[in-house]
Amino acid sequence: MCLWNWRRRTPGQGHLDNETMRVFWTLLKKELRAFFVSPVAYIVLALVMVLGGVSFKAALSVLESAPSEGSIVTWTFHAQWFWLSYFFVFPLLTMRLFAEEKKLGTLETLFTAPVRAWQVVGAKFTAAMVLYAVIWLPSLGNFWLLDWITGGKVEIPVGALRGSYLILFAMGVFNLAMGCFASSLTSNQIVAAVISFTMSVLHFLLGVFALVVGRRLPESMVEAVHYVASVEHIRLFTQGLIDTRPLIYYASLTLLFLTLTHQVVEFRRWKL
Amino acid sequence: MIHVHELTKQYAGRTAVDRLSFDVEAGEIVGFLGPNGAGKSTTMRILSGYMPPTSGMAMVDGHDVFRESLEVRRKVGYMPEMAPLYHDMRVKEYLHFRAELKGLRGRDLRHRTGEVMELCAVTDVRRRVIGNLSKGFKQRVALADALIHRPKLLILDEPTNGLDPTQIRGVRELLRSLREQHTILLSTHILHEVEQTCDRVIMIHEGKIQACDTPRNLTRSLRATSLVHVELQSATDVAKELEALPGVRKVMTSKTDKGWRAYALRVESQTDIRESVLDLATAKGWRIRELHRQLPTLEDVFVELAAADSGARPFG
Repeated sequence: MCLWNWRRRTPGQGHLDNETMRVFWTLLKKELRAFFVSPVAYIVLALVMVLGGVSFKAALSVLESAPSEGSIVTWTFHAQWFWLSYFFVFPLLTMRLFAEEKKLGTLETLFTAPVRAWQVVGAKFTAAMVLYAVIWLPSLGNFWLLDWITGGKVEIPVGALRGSYLILFAMGVFNLAMGCFASSLTSNQIVAAVISFTMSVLHFLLGVFALVVGRRLPESMVEAVHYVASVEHIRLFTQGLIDTRPLIYYASLTLLFLTLTHQVVEFRRWKL
Repeated sequence: MIHVHELTKQYAGRTAVDRLSFDVEAGEIVGFLGPNGAGKSTTMRILSGYMPPTSGMAMVDGHDVFRESLEVRRKVGYMPEMAPLYHDMRVKEYLHFRAELKGLRGRDLRHRTGEVMELCAVTDVRRRVIGNLSKGFKQRVALADALIHRPKLLILDEPTNGLDPTQIRGVRELLRSLREQHTILLSTHILHEVEQTCDRVIMIHEGKIQACDTPRNLTRSLRATSLVHVELQSATDVAKELEALPGVRKVMTSKTDKGWRAYALRVESQTDIRESVLDLATAKGWRIRELHRQLPTLEDVFVELAAADSGARPFG
């Protein structure tokens, strides 16, 4: 069993640090390019913009109809429309990453070039992350537009806005890592998308379930429940309450799934 | 350049490569020959650093393919079977990307990309999207990619697969011109190809080396029989007399035409009976207008080796 052999550095690779980053950058450029020459990036962007607009409108209607506790930011991120767009983004962004290369057989050309597996996994993941960040940017425009039209009469809490986008990013990164993992498992993009979607929804439902059950649990276990409940994280962060625990929870899960992806990609190098 | 010792690769209980040992010297062109599933691709994948052997070892230019995988990959230009490429990229863009991955920079990168595109005759299609190219062009783009970082060793898995005869000739000439700078290990089904290009042939079957020699020696040492064609003029059928010659196994009468009779003699591989045929003809007073020997081709060797192993079942 030589599972850990990839860690072993051979002499003369110390000068490679610069080279290592260059290879990573080359791969990242290629991945980003692949997103923008295929229609996927634009479809996802359009989908998120439309649904973002609809959920913003829904939030406005809530505030119009009756006085309410939450701000415009809270209500926007609690609209069903928001969740609809949220769950579709990850499979669309990640299904192609490894599945396509497996299908085309290009993993073989890729891994017979002087490239390390973590560079490939890292570059693909980073490209998806960059794209994910880009697609949420236009939704910021909604808040700016409201502010501009009403001449600053509607209060838009900046802290809540920061919190919302922060948790959106943290949860997104975790879901993207799951998507990467799903894509590395199969050579069929549809299968990858289905696995990724299922895992995202299951994690979300686990959170909801934990919240429901959690009410009947003793006090000491409530905290544990709150760790997995995405709904609860969103609720806190959209109120501007930035808690480091969920951030660390998502960061560790991201690392876990990226490590798993790395292992799957390196599977061919296992001596069985 | 290549040193392989007791190389074994097993997939889930099936042995693809079984204790293979061979060496390839720098500057040689070596052909890897064998039926489908013989273990050619597996061996090539191991040598290119794509996957490790189950046991045994393989060295490329003094580097172990598993422990110093990156070093090996820098020295090897590998072209996989079916030439996998990114279909959404343009030819030049793809070669730029690959050159950058393999460590070429700046002016050298641009210069070398132009050079290999010229060498593999893909300059005219450099702006086209790879997915829309014909099989022949794709194959040549993959070859250009394998060459781009000036590797010491080229490993080509069926480089002429799916090409038309003109393109095959083009690839063959290209390979010959490359022998100055590179050691080449190639696999192919086209035996004619190997006879024309390679210095040495390694025949493998079911993961084991069956034969390893120059194409000429291989055909010579063959168990397969060769044929001697003779066309002579005589009043009567002389098949009996010809069959009596030493070394002749069987005589087939192919045609008769106005007193000219054509025979095909199946003879044992090591014997040359042309002279004795001529002597016999002179003694008997027959006139001869054709006498030539047809040597067994590698194809015959191939079929024979494969058949011998599978118990002579042609489609078993």
